[in-house]
Order: sequence, then C-alpha cells, then structure tokens
Amino acid sequence: MQKETIIPESKDIAFRDLIIKTPGGKNIPTCMQCGVCAGSCPVSHEMDYTPRQIVRMIQLGLKKEVLNSNTIWICTTCFSCSVRCPRGIYPTELMETLKPIAMKEGIKNRNTKFDKIFADVVKKNGRASEFLLISKYSISEPGMIKQVPFGLELMSKGKLPLSIDKMDDLRELDSIFGLGEKTGIQEKTQSKEKPPEIKENDSDSQEAEK
Amino acid sequence: MAEIEKPQVNETSAKTEPAPKKIGVYLCRCGGNISDVVDLQSVAESLKGENVIVNIQDYLCSSAGQDKIKSDIEKGKIDRVVIGSCSPKLHLETFRGMVKKAGANPTLLEITNIREQASWVHDKEGKESVNSKVKGLIKGAVARMGSIEPLVPLEKKLVNRTLVVGGGIAGITTALEIADGHEVILIEKQPYIGGHMIGLSKTFPTMDCSQCILTPKMVAVHNHPGITMHTQTEVAQVKGSPGDYSITLKHSPRYVDIKKCISCGACTRKCPAGAIFLPFAQAVPQAYIIDMSKCSGCGACVKICPRDAVNLDAKEETSTISVGAVAIATGFEPIDPSFIEEYNYPAPNLLTAVEFEDMLSAKSKTGMRLQKADGSFPERVAFVLCAGSRDFTGKGRKHCSKVCCIYSQKQAQLVKKMKAEAQAWIFYIDMRSAGRRFEEFYHHTQEKGVNYVRGKVAEIIPKQDGTLMVQYEDTNLGRKGREIFDMVVLCPALIPSAGTKELADKLGVPLGDDGFIEEKHVKLDPVNTLNQAVFAAGCVLGPKDIHDSVTEGMSAAHKVSQFLGKGMILIPPEKPMILECNGCGDCVKACPYNALSLSGGKAVLSPLACTGCGICVPACPIKGIEIRNFTRSQLKAQLKAMLEDAPGVVVFIDPYAYAAADIAGVNRKQYSSLVRFISLPSIHVLDADVVNAAFEYGATGVMLIEGTTDEKLNSRSDDLYKKLKKETRKHKKPLRYSHIETAQYEKLTDLLNVFASQAGAKAEKRSRKEKGEETPEEKE
Ligand SMILES: Cc1cc2nc3c(=O)[nH]c(=O)nc-3n(C[C@H](O)[C@H](O)[C@H](O)COP(=O)(O)OP(=O)(O)OC[C@H]3O[C@@H](n4cnc5c(N)ncnc54)[C@H](O)[C@@H]3O)c2cc1C
Ligand code: SF4
Ligand code: SF4
Ligand code: SF4
Repeated sequence: MQKETIIPESKDIAFRDLIIKTPGGKNIPTCMQCGVCAGSCPVSHEMDYTPRQIVRMIQLGLKKEVLNSNTIWICTTCFSCSVRCPRGIYPTELMETLKPIAMKEGIKNRNTKFDKIFADVVKKNGRASEFLLISKYSISEPGMIKQVPFGLELMSKGKLPLSIDKMDDLRELDSIFGLGEKTGIQEKTQSKEKPPEIKENDSDSQEAEK
Repeated sequence: MAEIEKPQVNETSAKTEPAPKKIGVYLCRCGGNISDVVDLQSVAESLKGENVIVNIQDYLCSSAGQDKIKSDIEKGKIDRVVIGSCSPKLHLETFRGMVKKAGANPTLLEITNIREQASWVHDKEGKESVNSKVKGLIKGAVARMGSIEPLVPLEKKLVNRTLVVGGGIAGITTALEIADGHEVILIEKQPYIGGHMIGLSKTFPTMDCSQCILTPKMVAVHNHPGITMHTQTEVAQVKGSPGDYSITLKHSPRYVDIKKCISCGACTRKCPAGAIFLPFAQAVPQAYIIDMSKCSGCGACVKICPRDAVNLDAKEETSTISVGAVAIATGFEPIDPSFIEEYNYPAPNLLTAVEFEDMLSAKSKTGMRLQKADGSFPERVAFVLCAGSRDFTGKGRKHCSKVCCIYSQKQAQLVKKMKAEAQAWIFYIDMRSAGRRFEEFYHHTQEKGVNYVRGKVAEIIPKQDGTLMVQYEDTNLGRKGREIFDMVVLCPALIPSAGTKELADKLGVPLGDDGFIEEKHVKLDPVNTLNQAVFAAGCVLGPKDIHDSVTEGMSAAHKVSQFLGKGMILIPPEKPMILECNGCGDCVKACPYNALSLSGGKAVLSPLACTGCGICVPACPIKGIEIRNFTRSQLKAQLKAMLEDAPGVVVFIDPYAYAAADIAGVNRKQYSSLVRFISLPSIHVLDADVVNAAFEYGATGVMLIEGTTDEKLNSRSDDLYKKLKKETRKHKKPLRYSHIETAQYEKLTDLLNVFASQAGAKAEKRSRKEKGEETPEEKE
C-alpha cells in the first residue's frame, strides 16, 4: 500500500479532538505504542493497520487513513486489547466509535467477506454455527489453512461442536432479512442522520476550544 | 538563645514579664520603595492614641537603622518592636539577632510586611486605600505585640546512636559510613545481610561479580566495633520523639546461637530432615539456621553440635533500644507477576529476573548453572520487560522500574557468554539506557548478537513440553509475531518491600502515592524525610542501581552524622499549651504526628514530635489547647485592631502560601488593597471563634490560604473548611479555602482579586438591603 508523507496538511486536528472527547477516548494521548493491543488481537494480521497504529494515527489526526482502514471493520470486539492496554485505552470502543463516523463519511465496510458468510449462515439456519462459519470462511480465505491444526485441537476438546443448530420456523426471520434487503435500511438511515453522539461531542469540542 | 529550656511545653516555657510593655514602631521608607506609595507620616500619626513610640527610617536594615532600634532598647525606652518594612523572609533573622544583642527577647520583634504586601502590589490604587490598609496592618501588629509572650526556642539533647533498618547495600553503606563517628544498630529481616545484591550474578555496567565486591563490605559490618547487627529482626514499636526514640525490636528465632556456631556443618550431616543448613557459603553472619517447617524435632543436631549452639526451643524475642536517628534502607521487592493473567506466571521455565539472578549468584542452588526445570541449558531465552511497570490502569504500577532495561541486557549477555549459539531475545517498549556507560552497554549487548524486539509481550502460553510460546507485535514493523522459547524471564515492577508502610507510619514519615518514602524535597532535600530525625537511602526511595544506592547510603550517613553531631536540636517555641484537660483524648487522636499522648488522664505534649500545626486546637472540645503566641485571644486582638478603622478581607495564610504572596510582590502583581493577610504557622490553628470574630470586627470576607504540601494537613483542610463554613454561616459573609503552592503566585493574586470583589459586592448588597439572603460563596 502506498503511504503518503505526513505533512501538516495530513493532520485533521478537529478529528483527533473529536475522538479524544468520545467516551473512552480520554487516554488516547497517553498511548506509548507498546503494541500489547496488536499483539493480543486475534485478527490484527488481517488488518491494514494494527490497533496500535490506529491509535497512533488518531494522535496525529490522520483522519483519511483511519476511516479508510479495514481495521475498524475487522475488529471482532473481543476486548483482548482493552483489558491488556497498560494505559487504559480501549481500542475496542475506539473501533465502535469510528465505524459510524466512517459510514457518515460514506465509507463502506470493506471487509464484507466474513460478514456475508456470517449473515448467510444465520439466514439459512436461524442460528450461528461456529463450525459452519469457520469452515466456510476457511474455504474462501486461503490463509486460514494454517489454522486447521488449531481447529482440530479445538474439536478434540469439544470446543468446536460439529452439530448445527437450526431454528424450527424460519419464516419470521426471512421476512426480517427481506425487509432489510428491500429498504437498505442500514446505509440509508445512517447517511441521513448523523450519529447522535457525534453531534453532542462536536459541540463539546468547540466549547473546549473557546 | 538566652536560656536553655527543658523540653516540656505543656508547662510554661515562657517568662512572663510583669513590667508594662513598651512598644516601639519602626517604619521603613525603603528608599522610596515604600514611602512613594504609602504616606508613612500619616501612618505614624494614626498611632497617636496607642501607647507606643514611632520612628521612621530611610533604610531600617542599614546599620544606622538597626542602631536606632538597638539604642532605644538599651536606653530602656522600649522592650518590644514592631517593624513595618519588607517581607520578614528577608530580614527577620537579622533584626532578631540585633534585638538579642541589645538584651531583649528576639520573639518580641515582629515584622509587618508593607512592601511586598502593600506598596508593591497596590501602587495603581488610590493612595487613600493603601494608607488605610497599612494603618490597619500596623495597628493590628501593635495590638498583637502587646498580647504575645516572650518565648525561648526549645532544645533537646540527642541520643548519639542510629538505627539502620535493612541490610542491603544501601543499609550496609549507611551503617559503615556512620559507624566511625556514632554508634550504629543495623537490623535485617532475613537471616543474612546483603539484600538483593547478594543474589545478583554479575553487576552492570562493568560486569564484576556481585559477591566479590559485596562480601568484604558484609564482613566489615560484622567486624566493625561500632556496629551491632541483628538479623531476622524487625521494628515492632516506636516510642519517643525525634532525637530520642525508644524502639522495640522483634527477633525471630534462628534456633542456632550465632555467637557459638562455628559453621562446622556437623548438624547438617546428621539431620534426617534436611532442616538445618547454612543459608549459603558466604552468608554473613556465618551461622546455621533451622527451617522449622521441615524439622521433626528429633534433636540429632542438638546432640552432635560440639559447641552446644542449637536450641530447638528458641522463641521469638523482643528488645528495646534507644536511638536518636533512624535510617530506612528497606529496599524493594519484585511485584508478584501472577496478577498479569496473560503471562501465566508461575509456570515451569517462566521465571522472574530475580529468580534468574539467584541461579547465577552466591545464593545459587544449581551450582551457578543456568538451567531449565529439567536441568538442561535453555537454548532460547526471552526477556520480557515492563512486566507490571508503566501501567496506568491500576493493575500494575505507574513508575518505570529503572534498572530492568539494563539488567536484562546483562542477563542476555550472560546467556550468550555461557553458550554462543544460544539465542537471547529482549522484548522492550523503550530501551532506557540513560546514564554513564549505559548506552555503551546497550551497544555492546547488540554486538553480542542479542535480538531486540520493540513491543510489549502480549501473551505467554506455557506448553506441555516445558517450552513457552510468546506472542507480541513487532511494533517497528507493525506485524504480529509468535516465538517458542525454552525459558522466559519476566522483569517485574520493583515495588517497596513489604512492611515499608507500617515502618514509615511508626516513624511518622509520609509515602508517595507510589508507596516509596517521600523525600523532604524531591530535588533539593533527598535522603531527608519530613521527620528531621529519619533518613532514607536506596531503593526504598525508588528503584535504582547499586551505584545510586551506595551514593544515597553515603548521603544519608552524612545527614545522620550532621544531625547527631550537633548534640541537640532547636525547635520553634510556638507549640500548643494544654491549659485545661478532661482527658477525653480527642487531641491525641487528632494529632497527625503522634505528638500528644495521655498520661495520668491528661494530655501531654511531646514537643519535639510536634510540628506546631495546631490541629489539636480546634479538636479540643473544651477549648483547652492554645498555640503559644497564636492563641484565640491574641488573634482576636490583632483582628480587632486591624479592622477597627476600615473593613477589609481577612486572609489567613500559612508560611508556604505567604512565600507565594512575596513572589507576587516582587513581580508587582496588583491585587485589591482590601486584602489583609494574617500570618499563621498553619491554617489548622483556626476555629470558628476566630473566624466569627473576624466577621464581627468588620471583615467583609475571610479566606484561608494553605500552601503546605504535607498530606497530613491537606487531607484535613476540606473538613476544616466545611466545619468553619457551617459554624460561621450566621454572618452570611463569604468564606473560602484555597490551596496555593509557593510557585502559584499568579493564581493567588487572581483569586484574591475575585474574592475581594465578590466580598465587596456582597457587602454593598447587604448594606443596601436590610437583609441579605444569598448563601456564601462556594469553595473553589
Ligand atoms: C534482577 C535485578 C538485577 C539487578 N542487577 C543490577 C546490576 O547488575 N547492577 C546494579 O547496579 N544494580 C542492579 N540491580 C539493582 C540492585 O539490586 C539494587 O540497586 C540494590 O540491591 C538496592 O539495594 P537496597 O539496599 O536499596 O535494597 P535491597 O537490596 O532490597 O535491600 C533491602 C534490605 O532490607 C531488608 N528489609 C526489608 N524490609 C525490612 C524490614 N521491615 N526490616 C528489616 N529489614 C528489612 C531486606 O531483607 C533487604 O536485605 C538489579 C536489580 C534487580 C531486580
Ligand atoms: S496497548 Fe495501549 S498503550 Fe499499548 S499500543 Fe495499544 S493502545 Fe497504545
Ligand atoms: S477488540 Fe478488536 S482491536 Fe481489540 S483485540 Fe479484539 S479484535 Fe483486535
Ligand atoms: S526500566 Fe525498562 S523495563 Fe523496566 S520498567 Fe522501565 S522501561 Fe520497563
């Protein structure tokens, strides 16, 4: 990936301040780049920027890179980073904060593969099956082959049940999915309304500047 | 001083003078610095009604100015002096020295600051208001001078003996350095001295062997005629006061008489349980010890010992010693890393750096061989830095443990030295190698082929086969990594050793919020504590290396010798006097410095422990305690005279905040001339009596400004403020508390301005309406 030279114009200080003002953003300036978050993250190798790098880019105000990163969509909200960060930063919450901002800016979720498979599994069965999810994802994602021994180990310990749980009546669920597909509910509403917490914080940050 | 007083402050330490008080008021023009703004002539005239003589000089501090006062005293014209001049911080000692030479009591000279607190800070205001302020201040000072008593500083003879607590390198150095001049008692919790250093392998940055440089010092302690050493000993109780402590020591049983044991080892050979042993070959003292958890009580050792040194029935004992000073050198301990769940400590081959050192030290149980749990050499070793340090979440410690960056490199070098093909990895966040020879040491370690990874280890997973998986991000590359190691060494946060707080509490010494002992001044007064008879050295003041521990040991020894060398201490005489007492003990509980106790049903002051903070004054339910020369009636007399002619804002101020006001003066920071300071040893001497009196005499508002950073006082200020507020509410006048440290003079003047105008506005409203219904100002 091509990386631009960071020049004064690259930095969006208002963006940085906005993020720092969100709940959980307070400690971002104290990140010491230790990398415990990224080292703990089960999916950081999939990310174009690790959680640590996202935190760093926010310190600088590199809005464009942050909002266009796949990191915020790949995060599984497992909280591993947040419980281990020695500076009390919550990268998990940060990802949650960044997602609606990216949507507001018209940036789409670039990591649709996993989400699609997940949605498909739920749609078919009415329930998520870890086994189906993993095997389907593995087929579409060559890198996952390395995880096979680990999967087998999990299976041998009964941590990855093979049984596929199914809902009795799928009709109601179908109609919900149908509704969603028809209206494109997510994207439209999100692009019309600004996420409320941002508005609030916006005025906050202005106040603070005054 | 004129007379030497016995240190008994609850009886009178003053000579009350029956003769009428002859007060002289001397005002200084300060070459125009004062007189250009203040009309001193009119101030002098305003004193006509008082029974005083007034004199104005160009420069009071000059020899001509001083001679005038001196000759007035010598001629018997006056015996008490009020000076109106620059800040007392500048010339009080000079003037008092002169008064003493002239034959009067130095405490009967006081200075009213009409330069830093008037001419320099109100010169942009109308002359009238400045004049009126100065008149008020001087009248207040005259009234005060008429009411105070002559006092003599207290003196106390010191016990010429020091207790050093902790036998690590810092304590050893302190003891050896003091012992040539003064007697030392050195106590150590462990059965041997040497502390952590005797458990080290080589020592950075020069890599000399730890026991080689330490053993001679341990032996010197043992042999020094001026040092009495007690191992397995801790402080149980501290009584007495600085300069004269009576300390009870608790000695745990060793079951072997140190004096009799000749280390022949006959007992060890006979013991069927392996319970009797020498801690390690070089241990000082050289004597065996029994681990009672292993001993079966068979008595084989008792029978075999040729010296009759073993006593299986030994019990814990206590003894009491008398010392004048104490040096704390209780060092550090590694934090227990098991709280870091993702590191899975303890596990086979997962050790702390201290355990790693132990293996290669004089205390080694592996014959100084580095080995895994199965006895083989670890081919791949990882060092995990900042395990519990630099953590602001409350789980670990905030501070940097300072030595780990360097000692981990030392340990990595040792691994490479033992086997060149072995791998050593150091996982770090920031490689901190500041200090002489340390960057070179870093460079040298790199040259040795040690692998550095910039990234804090995220997870350590012990595997079935005894290896350990380490997961991390290589932050220089932004890539996650995983490695398998034979041994992983955690570099844990270094924290004050267990029991530091209990010991510090017994000695009346505060700790920082990191748990280490607080120095008297972070920069300018290291190794001194807030207790003048207690000193500290080494890692109990924060993590550091051997060089710095030794340096502090030497400094502490110097400070101890200086303290004891004087033979006695002088203490300010403004202490509480107990006038009436029903024995309720409230003051005893309130005193933060343990200076009060009950004896024969009455409160008794130990004047050397007392700092004169005055917390006992409002604590006494029957108002039986007063601080000498700051009694309720003395303060009221001053307030009354000060406010008689014109109202003002009364600001009670402690010496630290007073210094801030002085700096504001030097910087000509303007503030309202309604402000009238009353200088107190501490704001805690105040109670509602005095504050109500201020309001009654015409104060439009009252402020308490505190500058001390002594937690023991600060932590009570809020309660004092709330109580005063409640008890002075009836006046419906503003009362405010603020904490201003010496450097914050701008904050001080801003605050004074805001408060003075608020108080003024309120007073105006009140006079317009008959009744004011507003509630007083909120605390800042
Ligand atoms: C793994 C590791 C490696 C290190 N390597 C080096 C190195 O190579 N070079 C270097 O310069 N520095 C090194 N250091 C630092 C060095 O160990 C310290 O600077 C030094 O030991 C500090 O000495 P101290 O006397 O202050 O504390 P300590 O060594 O901790 O001694 C304190 C003593 O007080 C005793 N004690 C504690 N509480 C009480 C009590 N209540 N009553 C009585 N006695 C008590 C303890 O038992 C102990 O003997 C290393 C530190 C560690 C952790
Ligand atoms: S764990 Fe915390 S301090 Fe460390 S890099 Fe991540 S966000 Fe920064
Ligand atoms: S919460 Fe998200 S960023 Fe944090 S470790 Fe889990 S997946 Fe990674
Ligand atoms: S010295 Fe180095 S390893 Fe130790 S806490 Fe400080 S930064 Fe971490």
